[in-house]
Amino acid sequence: MDDEPDVDVIVVGGGPAGACAALVAARAGLSTVLLERGPFPGSKNMYGGVVYPRILDRLIPNWWETAPIQRWVTRRSTMVLTDTQALTVDYRTEAWGKPPYNGATAYRPDFDHWLAGHAEAAGAQLVCDTTAVGLLRGASGRIVGVRTDRPGGDLRARVVIACDGVNSFLAKEAGLFEHTDAKHYTLGVKETLALPKEVIDERFGVRGREGVDIEMIGCTSGVNGGGFLYTNLDSVAVGVVLKLPKLAAQQLRPEEIIARMKRHPAIAPLIEGADLKEYSAHLIPEAGLAMMPKMTTDGMLVAGDAAALCLAAGIWLEGVNFAMASGMYAGEAVVEAVRNGDVGVEGLAGYQRRLSETFVLKDHRRLRRAPEIVLSDRVQHLYPAMVAGIAERMFQVDNPAPKPRLRTILKQERKRVGIRRRDLARDGLDGLRTFG
Amino acid sequence: MSDEWPQVSFEDRMSTVEFRVHERAHIVVDGAKCADCSTRACVVACPANLFVPTSDGGIVFNYEQCFECGTCYMVCNEEGAISWSYPEGGFGVVFRRT
Amino acid sequence: MIAACVKWVAGVPEPGDERFAGISAADQAAVELALRHGASMGDDVVVVTAGPPAAERALREALAAGATRAVRVDLPADATSSDVATALAGVVGDAAFVWCGDYSTDRGSGSVPAFLAAERSARQALGAVAVDLADGATISVTRRLDGGRREVSTVSAPAVVSVEGAVARLRRAGLAGVLAARTAPIEVRRPAVVVPDVAAIVHAYRPRARTLPPPHGSTLDRLRELTDAAAAPAHGETVHLDPADAADRILTALRAWSYLT
Ligand SMILES: Cc1cc2nc3c(=O)[nH]c(=O)nc-3n(C[C@H](O)[C@H](O)[C@H](O)COP(=O)(O)OP(=O)(O)OC[C@H]3O[C@@H](n4cnc5c(N)ncnc54)[C@H](O)[C@@H]3O)c2cc1C
Ligand code: SF4
Ligand code: SF4
Repeated sequence: MDDEPDVDVIVVGGGPAGACAALVAARAGLSTVLLERGPFPGSKNMYGGVVYPRILDRLIPNWWETAPIQRWVTRRSTMVLTDTQALTVDYRTEAWGKPPYNGATAYRPDFDHWLAGHAEAAGAQLVCDTTAVGLLRGASGRIVGVRTDRPGGDLRARVVIACDGVNSFLAKEAGLFEHTDAKHYTLGVKETLALPKEVIDERFGVRGREGVDIEMIGCTSGVNGGGFLYTNLDSVAVGVVLKLPKLAAQQLRPEEIIARMKRHPAIAPLIEGADLKEYSAHLIPEAGLAMMPKMTTDGMLVAGDAAALCLAAGIWLEGVNFAMASGMYAGEAVVEAVRNGDVGVEGLAGYQRRLSETFVLKDHRRLRRAPEIVLSDRVQHLYPAMVAGIAERMFQVDNPAPKPRLRTILKQERKRVGIRRRDLARDGLDGLRTFG
Repeated sequence: MSDEWPQVSFEDRMSTVEFRVHERAHIVVDGAKCADCSTRACVVACPANLFVPTSDGGIVFNYEQCFECGTCYMVCNEEGAISWSYPEGGFGVVFRRT
Repeated sequence: MIAACVKWVAGVPEPGDERFAGISAADQAAVELALRHGASMGDDVVVVTAGPPAAERALREALAAGATRAVRVDLPADATSSDVATALAGVVGDAAFVWCGDYSTDRGSGSVPAFLAAERSARQALGAVAVDLADGATISVTRRLDGGRREVSTVSAPAVVSVEGAVARLRRAGLAGVLAARTAPIEVRRPAVVVPDVAAIVHAYRPRARTLPPPHGSTLDRLRELTDAAAAPAHGETVHLDPADAADRILTALRAWSYLT
């Protein structure tokens, strides 16, 4: 009798994964509890700043009418930086500024709160201020609920969906991760800097609700990682992501690395005079397929960052959409399993199938090697100098000397920076295979 | 490069963040283990700068302004030096604009 | 019946943002003491707020922690202290003890408990820094006096007690309580329309403006006159007396010059 469930589904974590999982389960009529350890959903959550909410078309029609969006990204730049140079690829399109939109900047304490509100409206019981501290197991070893840190805090359910984010102690306790390794994680630190809206519009060349998304490499003071700069309505988010073992093995602290990036001649004019509004930090599961856990065990599924489903492949930093989608698929699989009366691994197989058939795992498979390539020492420390050098020499007019041939420049720059031809060819091929 | 970047003191930096501090520490550092540590990885990596080395080779740790990010236990050099958990529900960091 | 009154403060420090709204630490302490008091007396605990619908979250938290009943009197957030007190009194009318927080998070003046006590003709013990529930029927309350002194008084029903936040910490609600409280009924009452009793309205005394003559002379002279030590009456005289009389004379003089009281 001990295993008698109090509810059908417990979803742990009120982030995007948890909110979508709870929304789907509750909408299908399952009694659903959504646990969140913060005082409200989103209060513990930090990210760079751009969501890609198209997956919400399926859950919240016309989501863009109510979502707490700061700006719609209509301009996306990728910058390669050295200490004194910057090479920027800049793309802008009107299309991303109209329904159904593409990317949008939003604050997570707003966005997650809004999304969890939809789960509540669908009938999920949102319980905040409550941390799940462990799993309950039935006689057969099957997971039958969670223990929370409230008095009388055990809660039993047919299924537990762990959406507890990057540190997921639940997935670890359930034995879904074979091992975890610091090298698979990056630390993100960020400053939210206040600037008047007109100043942002002018400096970034946008109007109204249009916004800018800038990704950078070569700006992290020799620690493998990358930088980002996003525009909100009246603030900009500036931050870096740093590979943990590399960060730990040198002397610069995270905020110093941001400070240096902010002083770069290509960045400084964009954020001059801005006041610090909030400083924040969070880990990212960076290694994609190389670190993913098993997605299900008897009585439990894992979704979002807890399942390392964040796609952090260099110039892509997409986690919220992967979290929302995986949460949604987890919810669908649970509805199916509960209806069929089998919540064991077999019964929950619909989850893995959905992940495999959709962008969630397709993108991860395609970009399998991207994190490794983008965070590799050559890409991080040598190529920025090489491509910046090439650009400089192509565009520099050294009259009376005639323009050098591109091939000559390439060779000379490669040598100057110290890249072997063999490595360049191999990296080029790898790059093509991965991103091509 | 402009040298005139207004420096925000670390204290001011952390004062932009709301922390609802619980009376019980959610992270405990075993100073004895730290004495043997050669890397001091936590000192450079903790984004909240909560690990401070002491002159006698120990570490002073204060849990109050913690982002609950997990960096410290991931980079820690000595097995078991850090006992890490989340603060009691409702306590700890509360973000607003991130 | 034991009652606790709480005030919902919308969005501190971000006004209008319900994510950051709540009740003060003092109000939380009041709820905790009401719960302990109710338990020790085997009595029901009713939690009351006068405020907008959002305030029901605070009531649900109190229900989750163990309150028996919750009532919201539908009043706008900016109602005056006396209207709030009247509204609350309508609900807690026959409670033996009413617990309130000493101040609310928006730096209230702490006047609601006093109004409430007056409204109910109950005893009042305001600004308690420590409370001993003793046998429950008569409780003892410690209050701060000037100069770091404390006053301990015993209070029996009917009474209104207001407490500071440090007196008690609201217990952590159990999980079952939290889940049950989500859908527990909350009684909503319309406030009785407050018709001001015109005859009883007391106007505050405000002295009427008087016309004063303009100042004379230059500003500098006037300043000198006020501050110049040379112009001040000089203290000191020479007298010849025997020691005992001299001592008396000195004391008299010091008193006259207000060096002694
Ligand atoms: C610096 C940085 C930049 C990023 N930039 C982007 C970006 O620009 N775009 C993008 O799409 N993604 C970005 N990401 C990734 C994205 O933030 C994550 O992939 C996404 O938040 C994952 O959502 P989730 O719901 O799985 O987990 P989370 O958002 O982490 O949510 C987990 C939730 O569970 C709660 N929780 C955890 N443990 C417990 C427990 N035991 N009990 C109860 N509740 C618990 C937490 O409080 C939290 O609310 C970035 C991440 C970082 C760190
Ligand atoms: S890395 Fe670990 S063992 Fe080393 S000083 Fe830090 S906490 Fe102590
Ligand atoms: S969890 Fe993060 S912020 Fe907290 S002590 Fe560890 S490294 Fe520092």
